[in-house]
Amino acid sequence: MAQTAAPELLPGTVQEAEEKPRSDLEPGYTVICWNDPVNYMEYVTHVFQIVFGWARRKAEFHMLQVHEQGKSVLVRESMEKAEHYVHQLQKYSLHATMERDK
Amino acid sequence: MNLIRSTGQQLQFRLGRREKQVLLDLLGLYPCLPAARQPLSKAGGLPDAAGSQALLDEALAEQRRENRGQLQALLADPRRFQEQETGWRLSLSPADLEWLLQILNDIRVGSWVLLGSPEGRLARLDEKTAAHYWAMEMSGQFQVQFLEALQDPN
Repeated sequence: MAQTAAPELLPGTVQEAEEKPRSDLEPGYTVICWNDPVNYMEYVTHVFQIVFGWARRKAEFHMLQVHEQGKSVLVRESMEKAEHYVHQLQKYSLHATMERDK
Repeated sequence: MNLIRSTGQQLQFRLGRREKQVLLDLLGLYPCLPAARQPLSKAGGLPDAAGSQALLDEALAEQRRENRGQLQALLADPRRFQEQETGWRLSLSPADLEWLLQILNDIRVGSWVLLGSPEGRLARLDEKTAAHYWAMEMSGQFQVQFLEALQDPN
């Protein structure tokens, strides 16, 4: 991911997706954003905020996960909703896919 | 380009004459990303994967057609660019700006794809790659300035 300025990531950054009980995450499809060297970090953060309505900290957390780990699981959803989110993210030219949750 | 005024309804930017021309030249490149570039899934195994992929491709293609029309309308609207003594004033709503970010990123990512999707620095520039490199970098510059305006309008 291309860098503009390094955003500050505070300790205890939201990790709601991982902490929710499994039953909340059941819908079956994950939406994943993959790293690329062209999208600016600031832009990716902004898109996450717009598409998912996330607070900046949560959006930055996932952006940094994409940047440092190569991908981030953004949400777990029903197939229909996952398709919707992938469409939204690809509309912004981000590299996003949906996968069956294992 | 500088943000000179921001209200909840409108953002106004000052652009030099050359900056305006660069922005118009860039926007003229839209759409730049190759159609049907992205798979819906990497691992596959989705029910009716081909049908879902076709729907996604169709939705993105429709979006581009709409964007192209909207872009032409925006550029033809005399209230958007107003000539000043030292350049131009560009007026956009926050929604326009949000949308323009998508357009500019299509140009940025599309130019990068046309450069061969390099992972690092481009090995060398030549007659063919220079134009794509220019478009990638310049669209990025405008993106950064528009993002700053959206995040810190004061």
